[in-house]
Amino acid sequence: MGVVEEAHNVKIVGSGDQTIVLAHGFGTDQSVWKHLVPHLVDEYRVILFDNMGAGTTNPDYFDFERYSTLDGYAYDVIALLEELRIQSCIFVGHSVSAMIGAIASITRPDLFSKLVAISASPRYLNDTDYYGGFEHEDLQQLFEAMRSNYKAWCDGFAPLAVGGDMTTVSVQEFSRTLFNMRPDIALSVGQIVFQSDVRHLLPHVTVPCHIIQSMKDLAVPVVVSEYIHQNLGGKSIVEVMQTEGHLPQLSSPHVVIPVLLRHIRYNIDA
Amino acid sequence: MMLSTATQLSTPPTATPSTVVPLANRNIYLNPRLQQGGTGQMGNQRSEEVKKVLDILVRTKKRNPVLVGDSEPEAVVKELFRKIESKELGAEGPLKNVQVISIEKEFLYDKNQILSKIKELDRVIESRIVSGGVILDLGDLKWLVEQPMSFGGAQQQQVVSDIGRAAVVEMGKLLARFTGDGTNDNNLWLIGTATCETYLRCQVYHSTMENDWDLQAVPITSRSPLLGIFPRVGTERILSNPGENLNPLKSVPTLHPALTRRVSENLDPAQRTSFCPQCSDNYEKELSKLVAIEKSFSEAKQEDNRPSLPLWLKNAKLQSSDAKTIDQSEGKYQEVLSKQKTQELQKKWRETCLHLHPNYHHKIHSDRTAPPALSMPSLCNPNLFVRPPFQPRLQTTKPLGEVLQLNTNPVTSQPQGCTSSIPGSPVRTDLVLGPKGTENTPEKATEDGVKDLLGCISSEPQTKVLDKFADALDADTYKKLLKGLKEKAWWQAEAATAVASAITRCRLGNGRCRGAGSRGDTWLLFTGPDRVGKKKMSSVLAEQICGTIPVIICLGSQRGGEESDMNFRGKTAIDRIAEAVRHNPFSVIMLEDIDEADMILRGSVKRAIERGRLTDSHGREISLGNAIFILTGDWSTTNPEATRDGHVVDGKKLASIASRDWQLGLIVREKSAKRRVNWLQNEDRPIKPRRELGSGLSLDLNLAVDTEDDRTDGSHNSSDLTIDHEDELGLVGRQFTITSVPHELASIVDDSIVFKPVDSSFVRREIKNTISVKFSMVVGDNLPIEIEDDVLEKILGGLWHDQTSLEQWIENVLAPSFNQLKPRLPSIESRGLVVRLVVESDSGERRNGDWLPSRITVEG
Repeated sequence: MGVVEEAHNVKIVGSGDQTIVLAHGFGTDQSVWKHLVPHLVDEYRVILFDNMGAGTTNPDYFDFERYSTLDGYAYDVIALLEELRIQSCIFVGHSVSAMIGAIASITRPDLFSKLVAISASPRYLNDTDYYGGFEHEDLQQLFEAMRSNYKAWCDGFAPLAVGGDMTTVSVQEFSRTLFNMRPDIALSVGQIVFQSDVRHLLPHVTVPCHIIQSMKDLAVPVVVSEYIHQNLGGKSIVEVMQTEGHLPQLSSPHVVIPVLLRHIRYNIDA
Repeated sequence: MMLSTATQLSTPPTATPSTVVPLANRNIYLNPRLQQGGTGQMGNQRSEEVKKVLDILVRTKKRNPVLVGDSEPEAVVKELFRKIESKELGAEGPLKNVQVISIEKEFLYDKNQILSKIKELDRVIESRIVSGGVILDLGDLKWLVEQPMSFGGAQQQQVVSDIGRAAVVEMGKLLARFTGDGTNDNNLWLIGTATCETYLRCQVYHSTMENDWDLQAVPITSRSPLLGIFPRVGTERILSNPGENLNPLKSVPTLHPALTRRVSENLDPAQRTSFCPQCSDNYEKELSKLVAIEKSFSEAKQEDNRPSLPLWLKNAKLQSSDAKTIDQSEGKYQEVLSKQKTQELQKKWRETCLHLHPNYHHKIHSDRTAPPALSMPSLCNPNLFVRPPFQPRLQTTKPLGEVLQLNTNPVTSQPQGCTSSIPGSPVRTDLVLGPKGTENTPEKATEDGVKDLLGCISSEPQTKVLDKFADALDADTYKKLLKGLKEKAWWQAEAATAVASAITRCRLGNGRCRGAGSRGDTWLLFTGPDRVGKKKMSSVLAEQICGTIPVIICLGSQRGGEESDMNFRGKTAIDRIAEAVRHNPFSVIMLEDIDEADMILRGSVKRAIERGRLTDSHGREISLGNAIFILTGDWSTTNPEATRDGHVVDGKKLASIASRDWQLGLIVREKSAKRRVNWLQNEDRPIKPRRELGSGLSLDLNLAVDTEDDRTDGSHNSSDLTIDHEDELGLVGRQFTITSVPHELASIVDDSIVFKPVDSSFVRREIKNTISVKFSMVVGDNLPIEIEDDVLEKILGGLWHDQTSLEQWIENVLAPSFNQLKPRLPSIESRGLVVRLVVESDSGERRNGDWLPSRITVEG
């Protein structure tokens, strides 16, 4: 295993002509795809990896400077694809990784044949003429809570983000991966993610993009999907699912997986 | 490493031969830290392990390291050899000129060749050792305990042992020959790697090996992502170890046989008997749907086709009908997973049934003589018990299409019509399953104890209270409530009406329907800046409806000056709410400043509103009972000028005024005498008082009713303000807007009530009027009472913070003073006199206790 693969815990499963890259979002790791992967391995070569900073990666590799913008993560994605000699892939990104994929696709459009964005948001803060769902104060409080007691924050945040009770498996799962992160890294990543604003980059994205979104999502209001759809430079399509929570692929796999498979298999009509 | 082709990458890590390839700058996008790590193989951790091995090599005893670990211990060996070859170890030390000889493993498999091969090795070593020592790389020690050629059966075991034993003996001799004389610098080292399993087998089959070979085991910590992906969660951890051949479930029951038995005893009959026939039919239907989903998931894949799929991915798949083809431990795991789902489903239907058919359950409970449900599944993972009874049902098939539309979210698919609260946590459920007979069963006390212990509230007593309550609540209650509200917070008449009607409506079951069925909890949202008014109304509600004082929990930043309960130190607001509900499920709980609460807190509260249950920070769920929750927040924008100019009552200013120790006194003065003092201060207005002097009589008569007259007659201070009183009211109204009550909050509460900012001139006028009316009633109409604005301010401040209402205070404090004063007044010549309510002392220190003076000195 190469350094890059090992550092990102890369796993390659399945076989097929096309390659699918599954990128997880903030507070999770590649295990968030566990419901989806079994459905892909027959037709596709599936690449799973952990973003740097996830609980399963070596904290020593987390360069606070490199990851002070989403670009750092985007470079990681490209580095990984180069390393694996992947000519072209379908990039399925969840949450922040959807935007990371979009940024990466601007730099290297040749590597991406399609983006599938789940629960993506180019900006979480409200702005004039833009509703991201969060006020500045909300975020300050959020970060303050993370700083003061990370465990308590995880326990509080997980049910909200997933949209379920603490007793459900998916909430426990998210809570686990969330708590796996080193608190200072989690705070840093959280700040970068929530304060990111990549709206200006959307018009430069030329790769076809499938935007998939939960009906009810604490982090991403439904209007955001529409915003992305309107502002993307390339073709795009939006599907809002009757699911709840920011991690629908974990909490409602029976709804999300058929939708995802459809978007992976079929392209947007010209 | 495996950088060459992609196909190599897809093979499992351990099967790939590792070679070091420097990575210098071949990828411009690469994380620089990874590039640094590239030269040092895997960064700090690996180099530390190499150092450990080196330390062992330089020892005199137990100096032949065996690297034991499941994740590529070979890599560490390679790194070591690389360092040796590149002379990174420095010129000093016993290892400076060491050479590495690797054994060709193949020859060792042939028993007949083993002796000759070792002889050959002997010669090679002898020729090289003179130059500074030899490290003999034995590679993976697997060859000592395994036999690749198939013989089959017990015979194979025998052969393995024979070959291995011969090798161990010969190698031991070899080692002894070269290291026998401890004086020689030119030494022979052995180095090898092994998985945990291999090493354990070596110890079993070759018991003398460790000593003969002078071995030291070096544990290599697991860095494999395969293991890392399943961290720290008890059962999963046990089950996810791919190298584990033992059935992990075996060990668990032997550890806690008693515990397991107890719980499964409690669970199994409970689950079978816990549905009435009707609900169990429904349950069966849903279960078969679930099974169909699982089956369709697993049918899509055959396990055998996918050897490269990591174990955790296989785990994500659900139970398949052809489970027999899967190996034992994996099957168990899937069984556990699908059982988990089945249990969730069961739990749901059990609760539903419990609510729909309480009679059925009651019968069952009286039949059962089991001990109180002490089985707490939250303590012992339910996944640990394997329950076969549901296995046959899993065979049922249904088409996939139907299944994908099924929403198994337990909250949303909860059938309508469940009464009262819907408990969600397993703890709660099991309590219900215990003897719930509250009709004086002997276990009642025990059960209560358990309930307290677990922080759960039985729904039964609450329901009773609710029934009683609903009966009692009729129009009279509404009137009484409204009267109370208006008395305590008379400046918010509009809001008082709204609150009273909202409460009545909700309590009679016409509140907003949230979630499933009707619920006991009521949520009101008080918006606007008038904190005092909200608090006063909450007190009235608590007193009239629950007979208690309200529980006030501040969700926002603590305000100075507000007393905070020491018991709440270090508890999160959610925990405090939970505690309050637990303590008294029938209370008024005021959650102050929800607008200042952080997002998580707000989210939790919102979820509580929606679901009627609250999850505290320990993950325990409690029903909200019949509590009335009052959320307060400002969300208003008031023109800052209005506050500065004193048009609007400013709570902070009032607090500072009222917090000083002050006493009031009643003094009788001649009008003119007092006036003179004022004239001296206000020389620019000489005319008005003179006019007043003349019109003294008419004023006296109209004092109580006509504010206009009162104003013209009163002191300069008040007249200035009240002249354009009407305009001011309009001004305040215009300057106040509730701007940003979040829709998400406003839409889910039962009602939201706006508390307007308090117009200071209005409240002063009201206080003055009320006092005047009382005075004229007691003393008579022919004597005016004058109250200065600073006095009014103080009274207002006192009212703001004190529990008593204005009327109560007047009745209890002022009226006796008036009575006291009355006989001292000269009855006839009172024409030129005026009674003044003045501040007697203002010491600056706040006394303990009441905010309003409880006694008023009367001076003749």
